[in-house]
Amino acid sequence: MKTIFFTGKGGVGKSTIASAVAWQLAGSGKKVLAVSFDPAHNLGDIFGVQLSDRKKRFEDTLYLEEVDLNKASERYIRENIALLEDVYSYLKPFNMERYFQVLKYSPGIEEYASLTAMEELIRGEKEFDYLIFDTPPTGLTLRILALPYVTLSWIERLKRIRSSILEKRYTIHNINGHFSEKGVKLAYNEDEDMVMKKLKSIEERFIELQKFLKSENNSIVVVFNPDFLSLRESERLIDSLDELGMPIRAAIDNKYEESLSELAEEIEGKLLGGKGKNHEIELLRVSKQGRTGEATYELDENLASIFL
Amino acid sequence: MLEIVKRVFEIIKNFFSVMDRAHRSRVTELTAYEERELENIFVLLLLGSLAGIPSPPAFIAVELFPYMEHELKVLEARSKEASDALSELAGLLDMD
Ligand SMILES: Nc1ncnc2c1ncn2[C@@H]1O[C@H](COP(=O)(O)OP(=O)(O)O)[C@@H](O)[C@H]1O
Ligand SMILES: [Mg+2]
Repeated sequence: MKTIFFTGKGGVGKSTIASAVAWQLAGSGKKVLAVSFDPAHNLGDIFGVQLSDRKKRFEDTLYLEEVDLNKASERYIRENIALLEDVYSYLKPFNMERYFQVLKYSPGIEEYASLTAMEELIRGEKEFDYLIFDTPPTGLTLRILALPYVTLSWIERLKRIRSSILEKRYTIHNINGHFSEKGVKLAYNEDEDMVMKKLKSIEERFIELQKFLKSENNSIVVVFNPDFLSLRESERLIDSLDELGMPIRAAIDNKYEESLSELAEEIEGKLLGGKGKNHEIELLRVSKQGRTGEATYELDENLASIFL
Repeated sequence: MLEIVKRVFEIIKNFFSVMDRAHRSRVTELTAYEERELENIFVLLLLGSLAGIPSPPAFIAVELFPYMEHELKVLEARSKEASDALSELAGLLDMD
C-alpha cells in the first residue's frame, strides 16, 4: 500500500488535486481511499456526496472519508479520563481530575489524534493500493509529521532517566535485600518495570511509523499557486519537510494560466530551481479550469502516472 | 507562569548534578534520596506538558499514568512542601 499526502496553503487546491489524483488512480484500476483531515472538509463537496468518518464507496474502486479531528480528540480524552479516574479513584488529595481536564487544552492532542487516525488507516486498510490524505492547515500538518521525531527524542530522554531510577533501586535492593514502599514492591529490573515497558512500546510504535513515513511507499505532494503569497508558505513547507526527512515527490503548480507564464516560471524557479537539494522533486502544472474558478475532480492533466 | 518554567528548568539542571553525585555515592541512604529525586524529575517532566512547559507530547504522560502510582505518591508528598514547584504547578492548573 502507498500513501500520498497533499499539502499546501489553504485555497491552493489541495482537495481538488487530491481528488483528481484519487479519481485517476481509481480509473487505472487501483483501489483508492481518499481521506480528508482538513477540519474545513471539502472532499464531499468536490465529489458531490455527503461524507462521514466511515468510508463510503463512491465508484467501483474509489472510497471517500472525512475524519472529524475534534471528535477523535474528544474520544481519546474521554476514554483516557475514564481509565485514569478508575485507576486513581482513591488518590483524593491529589486532584487528578484537574490534570486530566487540562489535557483538553494542552498542545499536541490534536496532532496525536490525527496521527493515530492516520496510523490506524495505514495499518487497517491494507486492501487499498493507495491511501490519499488531504491535509489540515500547514502548521498542524507539519506538527503531525514531526510528532514521531519529537516523540522519539523525548522517549530517549525519559528512558535514560528511568534507567537511572531502576539502577538506584537495584543498588538499594542489593544492599537491603528488597526495595519497597509501604509494602509495595517496586520493580528494579527493566523487563519488570511497567513504565519502562510502556516507554519501549511507544518507542517501537513510533519507530515503525517513522520508517513508513520516510519510505518509498509514502509521498508528499506540495500544491501551490503561481503567486508570491503561496510561494512564501510553500518554501517554508518544503524546508520543514526536508528537515524532517519526508519524501517530497512532487510540487504542483495549480491554477496555472498561460498569461501568467513568466510569473509562474519565476515562482517555480524560486521554489525548486534555486536549491540543489530540490531537484528530485517533480514539477507538474495544472491549468486553471473554467470561468468561475470552480474545478472538479476531472482534470485534463495526467497526475497519476508519477505515483504508479 | 514564567516562574514555574524557570523552576522546572532549575530542577532539570539539578538532575544532572544529582546524576553526577549519584555515580559517586556508595551510601544506600543517599541513593534512596536520589532515586526519589529522579522519580520526581521524571514525573515533573511528564506533567509539565499539561501546563505548556517544553515537555514531551502530552499523550506520553497519558499512556504512562496508569503505571505511575508510586511516582505520583512521591509527588503528592512533595507537593505538600511549601516551596515546591509542583504545588505551584497544581495551583496554576486550579485557575480556570
Ligand atoms: N485548477 C483549478 N482551476 C480552477 N479552480 C480551481 C483549481 N483548483 C482549485 N480550484 C478552486 O479553488 C478553490 C480552492 O480549492 P480547494 O481544492 O478547495 O483548495 P484547498 O483544499 O487547498 O483549500 C475551490 O473553489 C476550487 O474549485
Ligand atoms: Mg481542502
